[in-house]
Amino acid sequence: MLTMIAEQIVNGIVSGSVYAIVAVGMTMIFGVLRAINFAHGEYYMLGTFGAWFAIEYLELPYPVALVIGVIATAVIAVVVGKFVMQRIVGAPPETGVLATLGIALVLQNTVILMFGGGYKFFSGGYIEPVSIFGFTLAEQRVLIIIVCILVFVGLEVIVTYSRIGKAMRAVSQNIECCAVVGIDVPQVALRTFILGACLAALSGVLTAPVNVSVYGGMGEIITFKTLPVIIMGGLGNVRGTFFAAMILGIAESLVATYVGLQFRDTVGFATLMLVLMWRPHGLFSMQARF
Amino acid sequence: MSSNDLSLPAPGRDLRLLFGIALAAAACLAPFLLGNYALHALIIALIFLLPAHGLNLLVGYTGLLSLAQAAFFGIGAYTSALMAVRFGTPFYLNFVAAGLLAGAIALPLGIPALRLRATSFVMCTLGFVIIGQAIAKNWISLTRGDMGLSGIPKPYFALGPASFTVSGTASFYYLVLVIAAMATVAVLLIVRSAAGRNMIAIRENETLAESVGIPTWRYKLVVFMISAAFAGLGGSVYAHYLTVVSPLTFQMYYSTTMLIIVLGGGAGTISGVVFGSLLFVGLSEALRIAPEVRMIAYGLCLLALVFWFPKGFAPLIDRFWSFLKERK
Repeated sequence: MLTMIAEQIVNGIVSGSVYAIVAVGMTMIFGVLRAINFAHGEYYMLGTFGAWFAIEYLELPYPVALVIGVIATAVIAVVVGKFVMQRIVGAPPETGVLATLGIALVLQNTVILMFGGGYKFFSGGYIEPVSIFGFTLAEQRVLIIIVCILVFVGLEVIVTYSRIGKAMRAVSQNIECCAVVGIDVPQVALRTFILGACLAALSGVLTAPVNVSVYGGMGEIITFKTLPVIIMGGLGNVRGTFFAAMILGIAESLVATYVGLQFRDTVGFATLMLVLMWRPHGLFSMQARF
Repeated sequence: MSSNDLSLPAPGRDLRLLFGIALAAAACLAPFLLGNYALHALIIALIFLLPAHGLNLLVGYTGLLSLAQAAFFGIGAYTSALMAVRFGTPFYLNFVAAGLLAGAIALPLGIPALRLRATSFVMCTLGFVIIGQAIAKNWISLTRGDMGLSGIPKPYFALGPASFTVSGTASFYYLVLVIAAMATVAVLLIVRSAAGRNMIAIRENETLAESVGIPTWRYKLVVFMISAAFAGLGGSVYAHYLTVVSPLTFQMYYSTTMLIIVLGGGAGTISGVVFGSLLFVGLSEALRIAPEVRMIAYGLCLLALVFWFPKGFAPLIDRFWSFLKERK
């Protein structure tokens, strides 16, 4: 019984890591652009499809496919960022909602049009089981947890010490003042957006061997799972997002085991509503910033 | 608006009345002029006009961006479908019950949700749709889960001994046309009343509105309920038109469609929303032959709309209206 719960918690941490990597990009984009990126899951999907394409058609090994998936997504993110996301800076909130919904529709259906809407088999990754601290896990799951930790440590360092990180924090505080002191706000917005999209793609390629199937509509589910995470974590809050993602991952895995698999996808929003009733600014923010 | 009142009376007659009559005539004659498929697209557009009107009161007049419309649309559809299938009640009863129930459910949902600030409120309303779909899927004894409810009768009226059924596409069109016209008049009355002006005051500056004595909290809650009731009414007609409902009635896509109608047509205008629902729903139904291309075109339209017509089509409609009035 206890080992079973522990096993579910470990599983939850793995899926929490996946959500965390996607959500942190979304929350950073929100911080800079003040727009909820409804297309964020689509970059997760694009990364996965890039890697799947590299493995299936170019017959490349998984690590190379991972790089190709992320780079392909980065290229698309540059185009979307230049033509759409940069224009959202300083626009009313409806603009962000509608524009990103539009992008989600375009990206998702272009992929379905190109590769067909059916499920595809993702072969690749490290699926051999290993034993750590008495838990048997697929190597890929261990890899996901390690990458998640690396990503968050890296982001913490970047956001705290680097020039671009300082600029990001500044823009998320006050756009006008940044423009006054000579920070190139559209450039910061573009870079944040590309970074966020690449993280989503990375998460997608890392998860693909665990999920096995790849399909055009997969991004939407990820978007809906990460939305509650970023609100619970406190919008724009990197550390809060990490903990919120872990809470969601563990809660989902416990609900799937003990309540019923069909309720798994509602856990996020149900938890979100409960949390918002109790703490309207999210779990980890002292006051509402947005 | 320009300084119209200083200019000389324009030559030519006021064409607004004439235009209105022409529009009404076109609406009445549509079944004779359009093919079956175009008529179907028009019916869907008019059905979506109901939740869009409700959403417009919320987004356009009170300034609350919401994605919950699909949840109340689904509640309305299921209420109506269940009543018709289980008890065989006539259409008008189902219709009213759908609106009332959707409005009533909006009360307990609105109380916690409306306390939230902009982005959190949007997410919370999105959550209603997701949870609504999960309930429709899993409360199998009531909703039959993923199989959905089928065999919902076409609208049937029974008044005393007389009863008749609306069966054909053309007669259904007239039914929807009457309902849509009544809803439009109702929204117009709400917006023109003192309550409508208070709503606009809340949209423009909530703190200021509160300080001049408008009970903003109560207003927001009531408007949220009214908008849910409109969505429920729309869902009821939708269920009777398609004769099936499934958990997919609770989908995010409907919420976004309704939002697009309102923001694309022109939030805070009635004519804009009517035009928007005809344009966006009609257009998307017409493109149904090629689903992927349709969605891509839809997405591109959204982007074009956001950046080139940030106020929707309302300014264009305004200009057309004053053209009819002045004809300079």
